[in-house]
Amino acid sequence: MSDDPMQTPRATKGRAPDVFMPGGWVPMREYREDEKVDFVIVGTGAGGGTLACKLAEAGFSVVAMDAGPYWRPLEDFASDESHQSKLYWTDDRIVDGLNPLQLGSNNSGKSVGGSTVHFAMVSLRFRPEWFKSRSKLGYGFDWPLDWREMWAYYREVEDALAISGPVNYPWGPPRPRYPYRAHQLNAAALALAEGCEAMGIPWTETPIATLSAPRGRARPCVYRGFCVLGCSTNAKQSALVTWIPRAIAAGAEIRDLAMVGRVEVDRSDRATGVHYHRNGNWRFQRARNVVVAGYAIETPRLLLNSASDRFPEGLANSSGLVGKYITVQSNQAVWGTSDKEIRSYKSPPSLALTEHWNYEDEGKDFHGGYCYMSQGPEPQLWANTLLSGRGLWGDALVSEMQNYNHVVGLKMVGEMLPQERNAVTLADETDQYGLPIPCVTYSWCDNDRAMIDHALGFMGQALRATDARDIWEQTDDTCHLNGGARMGDDPRTSVVDADCRSWDIPNLWICDGSVFPTVGGVNPSLTIQAIACRTGDRIAAMARRGEL
Amino acid sequence: MRGRTAAIAVSGLFAAAVLGGLAARGRRRPPARRTRRDHAARQLDWGAATLAGSVLFDSAIEHYRGSFEHLGMYVPLAVASASMATSLSGGRCPGQLRTGTSVAAMLAGVAGLGFHVYDISKRTGGWSWQNLFYAAPVGAPGALSLAGLIGLAAQQLRSGDWPSDQQSGRALAALASAGILGDVAEVWLLHFRGAFHNPAMYLPVTVPPAASLALAGIAVGAGRPTLQTTRGWLWATAATGLAGVGFHAWGVHRMMGGWRNWSQNLLDGPPLPAPPSYTGLAIAGLASLRMMEDRHD
Ligand SMILES: Cc1cc2nc3c(=O)[nH]c(=O)nc-3n(C[C@H](O)[C@H](O)[C@H](O)COP(=O)(O)OP(=O)(O)OC[C@H]3O[C@@H](n4cnc5c(N)ncnc54)[C@H](O)[C@@H]3O)c2cc1C
Ligand code: SF4
Repeated sequence: MSDDPMQTPRATKGRAPDVFMPGGWVPMREYREDEKVDFVIVGTGAGGGTLACKLAEAGFSVVAMDAGPYWRPLEDFASDESHQSKLYWTDDRIVDGLNPLQLGSNNSGKSVGGSTVHFAMVSLRFRPEWFKSRSKLGYGFDWPLDWREMWAYYREVEDALAISGPVNYPWGPPRPRYPYRAHQLNAAALALAEGCEAMGIPWTETPIATLSAPRGRARPCVYRGFCVLGCSTNAKQSALVTWIPRAIAAGAEIRDLAMVGRVEVDRSDRATGVHYHRNGNWRFQRARNVVVAGYAIETPRLLLNSASDRFPEGLANSSGLVGKYITVQSNQAVWGTSDKEIRSYKSPPSLALTEHWNYEDEGKDFHGGYCYMSQGPEPQLWANTLLSGRGLWGDALVSEMQNYNHVVGLKMVGEMLPQERNAVTLADETDQYGLPIPCVTYSWCDNDRAMIDHALGFMGQALRATDARDIWEQTDDTCHLNGGARMGDDPRTSVVDADCRSWDIPNLWICDGSVFPTVGGVNPSLTIQAIACRTGDRIAAMARRGEL
Repeated sequence: MRGRTAAIAVSGLFAAAVLGGLAARGRRRPPARRTRRDHAARQLDWGAATLAGSVLFDSAIEHYRGSFEHLGMYVPLAVASASMATSLSGGRCPGQLRTGTSVAAMLAGVAGLGFHVYDISKRTGGWSWQNLFYAAPVGAPGALSLAGLIGLAAQQLRSGDWPSDQQSGRALAALASAGILGDVAEVWLLHFRGAFHNPAMYLPVTVPPAASLALAGIAVGAGRPTLQTTRGWLWATAATGLAGVGFHAWGVHRMMGGWRNWSQNLLDGPPLPAPPSYTGLAIAGLASLRMMEDRHD
């Protein structure tokens, strides 16, 4: 049998790949398909991987499926940008709207561990007010969660991932010290710091999910900077090397290369299990509860694709909001050329940041906030950026690439506003499994544009305050898709409640970035994992009270 | 390749210092009857030599890592080697040479301190944790000054310029106590940077402070703890310093590629030569206790 993890499932025969050892295995419990497991989870990323761990550790029987392969980073990851695109979800999707999204590398992953296998590791907490942004700040929607409770779950995740962060964090209410110390700043991060000091605003070392000291069987970061293409040292604390090994040790089964096509619901409106495609066949796994955690595009798609006679508009969709209010974050940048050698591609890409404009409300002509951070694009990505952002090609591109070692840039992560028209719907075309593919519609609103203008202006000034010259703006980039199955207090205006339980089908849960009512101005993965931890605790508590 | 050449060069310096020093010592006729003073002086030699050896290797590794950006970065290597050689040669070394090297070591340490402080202050972020963690270590050059001071004390003691009595013993105890405390501060900072990820990392910030405290008690003549207890803590501190090399070797193994990737991990992993500085200081502390007992001589 082939050992290509993209062709042949690895987690079979009672064992799963040992992510810490080339060729290694760990024992894994397996469940029969006709055995009603307590939970089947669709997707093993930030949401699903975390929840699988929490539920297994709480004593539930768990099968977690992922459409992607089960990697051993030490042996499967190459230092080659093209090759590593194997980590991305590149199945067919249609994009439209006034500002169609670029999907692929900068959005979602397809691996056991989900997008965290190739994410940039920035691990930030929400500003507390964002959980009530409608009532406290006058825009967006309120979350049904309390920030103080979230503060405790953030801590749980930061510990689980041994986040390396500054000794003191300059913004927001006090937080406990990060488990590991900040990494040494690279020149790109120092440029951010210089700019902030010139502009008179605080900056800090980015709390980041890569090790600054050894931990268990994981090695500390070697600062090679290949992070968004998969970390081959396991320094990166992705779900693949943190939550999932814990889940397996606690008795969960992971099924790799298992694409779920449909959630089955019986006549009493309860989910009974999932139809999934593995090893060339469609199969069915029975379950008492189904959790969908496939990322903000695949989650709505699966719910819509699971429409039945009783739920013609798709599952959990009595509000009509499944797929609606998907929200990305603005990811515009300013770039320049420094006289110094910057080599920004060394080290994790975003070692320093400022959240100033997340916490400062004065002097803004827009709602919401943004942070910005230092950058470290790998060469192919950089060439692509020059092509798409400045239209460089041929000799012009080659000559500009000569400056690669001197490139320095600042990039925002900004809060776009949730709009109903931004949505995931089903297209007529089908994919390799015969399933209708998603259509992702996106348009910016005036507020989004005002924030982007503000950020580009401010970052430009900050970069000019360093020795950078030839400064230009990259105006069209987005990242981090969330929403599409938002949580709320009211079944008429939300898809799930605060516990990620769908209003319509009591044993169907949604636990990933799609439950976000608003996206805030920080990268989302820490919040997704904190919500998953909370959901795990809530489910265990409900089970104890017989409320499942 | 450059790494290997540098490693060979530094090992050569070390070997020359050790062999040179010991050869000189070997030619010395044994004194008719060794006094406590001789013992104490010899112990101080060993303390100074250990400390200087630790500085030699540590600064070699760190300054190599810093690409020997300017000539000044070679100074601690040269001075620490000389200091080691003269300390090891003990009484055979001409007094003036010994004094000269010791003074040079003291000055080089102070100058290094100045450079390191300057280096931090001009960095973005100034006196931030980031720079305390990753810029040139503030306290490290102090070890060279201490090696010089202890070497000088040995020399003075042996020549009789300095009496081997209670008062000298106390002064030396105070010096060793302060030195250990400085070392503790440095170790705490770097182990804090490593988030104390291994419980063993607490050892060098608990045992040596106890020794330092005990020595301070001796220095101020508090009457407590006893010489015996203090000696126990000092031996424990000396052992911690040696064990540290082993722990740091384990730490190198835990870096990506482990010992197979030694040329990188010796630079980026925990510093192998640093912990024995505790051993050197503890030996000096032990010498001070010996001097305290001199009245029984
Ligand atoms: C390049 C990049 C950089 C990023 N950097 C950061 C960062 O620095 N900080 C941060 O906080 N966030 C970052 N993110 C975002 C972060 O990775 C995601 O927000 C987060 O992983 C989303 O979690 P999720 O659980 O919703 O989905 P994912 O983590 O994407 O997991 C979804 C999983 O579900 C599987 N799946 C989907 N549908 C099905 C199906 N039908 N059947 C079976 N399996 C299915 C997929 O294969 C995938 O593995 C980054 C993302 C990218 C792409
Ligand atoms: S820089 Fe660090 S986190 Fe990024 S890929 Fe390399 S080892 Fe992994």
